[in-house]
Amino acid sequence: MARREFLTGNEAMAEAAIAAGLRVFIGYPITPASDLFEYLAEKLPSYGGIVFQAEDEIASINALVGATYAGAKAMTATSGPGFSLMAESLGLAAMLEAPIVIVYNMRTGPSTGIATGTGQGDVMQSRWASHGHYGVVVYSPWSVQEAYNLVVKAFDTAWRLRVPTIVLSDAVIAHTRELAVVYEPGEVKVADRKPPREPPGEFKPFKPDPDDLVPPMAFYGEGYAVLAESLAHDERGYYTTDPENYERLVRRLEGKITRNKHHVVSSEARYTEDAETVIVAFGTLARSALALVKDLRKQGKKVGLWRPVSIWPLDEEGLSKAVEHADRVIVAEMNLGQLYREIARILGPTGRKIELVPVLTPELPGPDELLGYFEKAGVEI
Amino acid sequence: MTLEIIIAGRGGQGILLTGYLLGKALVKKGYYVVNSEMYSAETRGGFSRSDLIVFPSEAEMDIIKVRKADIAIFMYKDQMHSYAEYVKPNAQLVILDGTFIDEPAKPWPRVLKVPFTRLAEEKVGTYRVANVFMLGVFSYVTGLIDPETMKEIIKTSVRPKWIEINLKAFDAGYNYAKENLERVEIKL
Repeated sequence: MARREFLTGNEAMAEAAIAAGLRVFIGYPITPASDLFEYLAEKLPSYGGIVFQAEDEIASINALVGATYAGAKAMTATSGPGFSLMAESLGLAAMLEAPIVIVYNMRTGPSTGIATGTGQGDVMQSRWASHGHYGVVVYSPWSVQEAYNLVVKAFDTAWRLRVPTIVLSDAVIAHTRELAVVYEPGEVKVADRKPPREPPGEFKPFKPDPDDLVPPMAFYGEGYAVLAESLAHDERGYYTTDPENYERLVRRLEGKITRNKHHVVSSEARYTEDAETVIVAFGTLARSALALVKDLRKQGKKVGLWRPVSIWPLDEEGLSKAVEHADRVIVAEMNLGQLYREIARILGPTGRKIELVPVLTPELPGPDELLGYFEKAGVEI
Repeated sequence: MTLEIIIAGRGGQGILLTGYLLGKALVKKGYYVVNSEMYSAETRGGFSRSDLIVFPSEAEMDIIKVRKADIAIFMYKDQMHSYAEYVKPNAQLVILDGTFIDEPAKPWPRVLKVPFTRLAEEKVGTYRVANVFMLGVFSYVTGLIDPETMKEIIKTSVRPKWIEINLKAFDAGYNYAKENLERVEIKL
């Protein structure tokens, strides 16, 4: 039964994970993700799950990979400094196609930055933290309810595609309370693994299905030979330096996301039907941007908002549609231009003017302060 | 329409709990409520602020922090002065704890000054429930929250040993308002 609750983002994301079937949470405390950890420590055991504090973030993510190979839906929660430590094994998870879920609550960086402040400086970090070319999916919520929905969605994506999936939230959502409609386990739809179709002697752990490029998954202990090989491997999981195999593998690790894009991407457009200028913003900053758009509309200005919900990959079709009547696109984000690069890459060739409004502050600006950052950047609106 | 509420005072006055209880009651009533908090590192004596933004539905929600409050509740004078600029000049209602505040910081048109802290001490036996005494007054004066709903929420939100005294404080505040104060119609 749906329940109407008044929850912080961290509580809502914990509830979402429970509803999605979370069995194992492993983490290391860090602001602003510790209270999610505490909430699960109190609640998950009563649903039969395990909450474990590892010695650090490196151990946490490695153990998560193992948990998924044993068949458990597994998650961790951290912020920038912790995610940096997880970087190496994020690549391991991608290479082993381990469906881990990471809640990533952004705070003010770089380094330990301003621990209690919010931030949006980790757009690139969430995508490219580990070495080599690999695929991950990253979602970014703008409200407590959406944080809930996206954690559920993250489990679905992770297990459907066997990719590490990240919910890139922030300190504001983590600690803001809002109405959230929440459910019990079994009441939300989450994909499960595709089970092996061949008998143990014939099953190959990295042999993809040709339609979705995702290999069926056998768990440890089910009688199959399951190799977890971090080196470049063939369909059997054996190390090989064969160039053709290498190309096929790396293309597939990203290709299974693009091939199944319809399951993954999403975005929201507001007031864009006739918008001559479209503001692009994501996460909590998009809420201030929406209020600003409403103000500007009252002044008769044809301004709209486009907000990506999936950050990696972006909903490029949704973006193109939102800017159909616009000759100007302004990207406002709490860094010096990370999402901006992607928007410029996509829309640059169309000849539209693409401008950046950097917002560098540890506190989420309201619409009035946000307008101040437009002026500061010399961007007229 | 959207209703913006700012609640502020000194750390230790129960500002954050007040915002939480009020928010929960408004959610129960069917509104989409956003509640954000700001506080200094000290647990006593610093500042504490709780913002509530009440939207008619999720489709209308936007801001997270108060821009200009329609209702302000100041439990201590320093924070009233700090946050007076975040209150609309024609605010629907400004509530002040007369125990610590003599004069409103601005000429707001509808000011309700009640010595919540002194009355809580006198009528309930402890100043520590002044916040919930205030909620009782708020409930009667504004009609925004149903007293029975609020009492149910208190029962599930405060620590067991504090439930009874908080319920007593809420009733005391509600009855005090009924006997001494006029209702104010709040547009929402």
